[in-house]
Amino acid sequence: MMNRRTFLAQAGAATAAVAGLPYVARAFGPGKPPVGKSRVVVIRHDALAEEPLDARRVRELLDEAAKALAGEAKAADAWACWVKPSDRVGVKVNCLGLATRPEVAGALADAWSAADLAPERVILWDRFERELRQAGYTLRASGAGVRCFGTDSLGSRGQGGYADELVTSGDIGSLYSRLVTDESTALVSAAVLKDHNLAGLTCALKNFYGAIHNPNKYHANGCDPFIADVVAHPNIRGRLRLAVCDATRPQCHGGPAARSRWQWPYGGVLLATDPVALDRVAMEILDRRRAAVGLKPLADDGRPVRYLASAQARGLGTADLVQIEVVSIGRPWTDVG
Amino acid sequence: MSIETDATRREFLKALAAGACGACALGLAGGAARGQGDEPRPQTAVHDAMWFERLPDKAVRCTLCPRECVVADVERGYCGVRENRGGDYKTLVYGNLCSMNVDPIEKKPLFHYLPGTGALSVATAGCNMECKFCQNWEISQFRPEQVPSVLVPPENLVRMAQARGLPTVAYTYSEPVVFYEYMHDAAAAGRKAGVGSVIISNGYINAPALQTLCEQLTAVKVDLKAFTEKFYADQCAGRLAPVLETLEVLADIGIHTEVVVLLVPTLNDSAAEIAEMAKWLVRALGPDVPVHFSRFHPTYRMKNLPPTPIETLERARKISMEAGLRYVYLGNIPFHEAESTYCPSCGKTVIHRIGFRVETAGLKDGACASCGAKIPGVWSQEQALAFKPRATPAAPPPTPPAPARSGPSSPPPPGTSP
Repeated sequence: MMNRRTFLAQAGAATAAVAGLPYVARAFGPGKPPVGKSRVVVIRHDALAEEPLDARRVRELLDEAAKALAGEAKAADAWACWVKPSDRVGVKVNCLGLATRPEVAGALADAWSAADLAPERVILWDRFERELRQAGYTLRASGAGVRCFGTDSLGSRGQGGYADELVTSGDIGSLYSRLVTDESTALVSAAVLKDHNLAGLTCALKNFYGAIHNPNKYHANGCDPFIADVVAHPNIRGRLRLAVCDATRPQCHGGPAARSRWQWPYGGVLLATDPVALDRVAMEILDRRRAAVGLKPLADDGRPVRYLASAQARGLGTADLVQIEVVSIGRPWTDVG
Repeated sequence: MSIETDATRREFLKALAAGACGACALGLAGGAARGQGDEPRPQTAVHDAMWFERLPDKAVRCTLCPRECVVADVERGYCGVRENRGGDYKTLVYGNLCSMNVDPIEKKPLFHYLPGTGALSVATAGCNMECKFCQNWEISQFRPEQVPSVLVPPENLVRMAQARGLPTVAYTYSEPVVFYEYMHDAAAAGRKAGVGSVIISNGYINAPALQTLCEQLTAVKVDLKAFTEKFYADQCAGRLAPVLETLEVLADIGIHTEVVVLLVPTLNDSAAEIAEMAKWLVRALGPDVPVHFSRFHPTYRMKNLPPTPIETLERARKISMEAGLRYVYLGNIPFHEAESTYCPSCGKTVIHRIGFRVETAGLKDGACASCGAKIPGVWSQEQALAFKPRATPAAPPPTPPAPARSGPSSPPPPGTSP
């Protein structure tokens, strides 16, 4: 058990240690070569393993992680690295099966206020309002505060809430959610760490299957290269500022449906500006947990996480652990027991 | 004879209202039952699916079509309309109709099936392919929640056809294979009521499911999209071999079948490919199978190619007839002479077509009125409904006998491992 003082000292050290390193946010944008290693912050704390989660504590811990990721001393400066007050931020949560917890997504939405972003300019969203409700989210389409609704609530606009323009990235044509094309100038992937029966893993990248109208067409060959195709489209790639992964209670097998048997209290949240690096670290966590409970690695279970290499090839980030700097705050990120 | 081509909005909504009670009686999902009598709206209509196998960890393998998707709990198959709910496989489009029109049967096209009659033509969302030239992509490539639709139970659909004096219900526009359960039940209800059922399909269906379905159908039209695996892979996200198997199964069953080939410039229109295809059709389905070469128009994701030159279509017809096919038509070319049916024996016009205007004076009792040669086809409703499939190997049961829980590949629960 780590006390608060030790934890904060460690968090401060993490921030100080990375402050002098090259900032890699959006270093993988079109035409931009990687600058230094991709940084993934893994923050772990007992408060992230508690039931229920304390949203205030989650917010404090997110601030620590953000500072460590951005190399800033103040949370406000950290969050301001990724959005401007004029942005409209779409926070894409994952509500299919094991869902991004509302306390984590809510704390993340709240955090943008530190960057002087009005709460009304933040939308928590997924495909269907039904799934958001089932995951415990409170819908709010208008009024003061952070908004929360599904693409389907825009059904009267365009094709069921999807943009009229058919676009292609890779080999399949899709319509993107108007919550992306019309409502967001910046995107945050607020994923949840879980096993996937075809892709092996669903995390920051696959989360954006919920941004297109026909994800069912994208599941062949372990979702590869389709996950990379969806995220590589300028609709996503041009807006994606931050990847966050709810690893408070991940699931190492049987996903994407929620299976309590395979979940464990990891008590963590991952942050990165490189979504490929974040997914690579997430895969490592899942595989370590699988080994700990007697399961084969994903690759040996017929579900190698192929899409990471394709995502790297598309310039979306790095899937090479050697090129990833994992900043661990709190309990070591590799400890999955 | 001219045919009215669209059901009125009033009729459509009336069907919706009539379907309300039936839908409740069928136990459709609560979400689907709500709002009946309202405007068409995006919705799902949940019903047990046929044709799947249970796998460990509540996954299922869909055995309806050659994709055989392995679908985890809470996920859907490639078609987007079949969903795993806790290890039970469900269709989300049972009676959930997004399109409904009265079309001439020639529009399907079926040229040797009750010429000059109309067909109540219906579709749901979804497809098990993704053809880059799909003309109906705004329904075929969408999920049921994204397309306005109304609920029409099978019995109501049949009653609608009867009320309009229509001999046929056509399952068409998107891909009927993906709304198999509804089509199967509606076709069965139709048979009892004296209404025939035809399917307009890409033929991407597994043989056992097809055999079971054909017990209820009265005719089939298959889109043979090309005669190369490359075209199917590159342009349709599918495979050729299963479609050819479907055509062979249909021949074995003996159901009236017509074939449509959309000729896409430079991609599937070479003389060699047409010749090879025609020879195969003669061999597999016989020289009497009606074949329609249809003109491509730029659409959906294939807007970079021009419409098919008419000369290309005419050449394909010539090659096919030289290969032995006797009834070869050209489609999407109004007023072309190749719209009509000619007697292979005497060359006289048997059925004269101009667009959807049909004159059948040259056909008498299913034979050429001039020389008496028999013309293959289905020429009366009695003949249509009298169809029974020829005996084929028995199909396996369409639904699993019992749930299977965690299988041998499942690992031990946490706590029992090192």
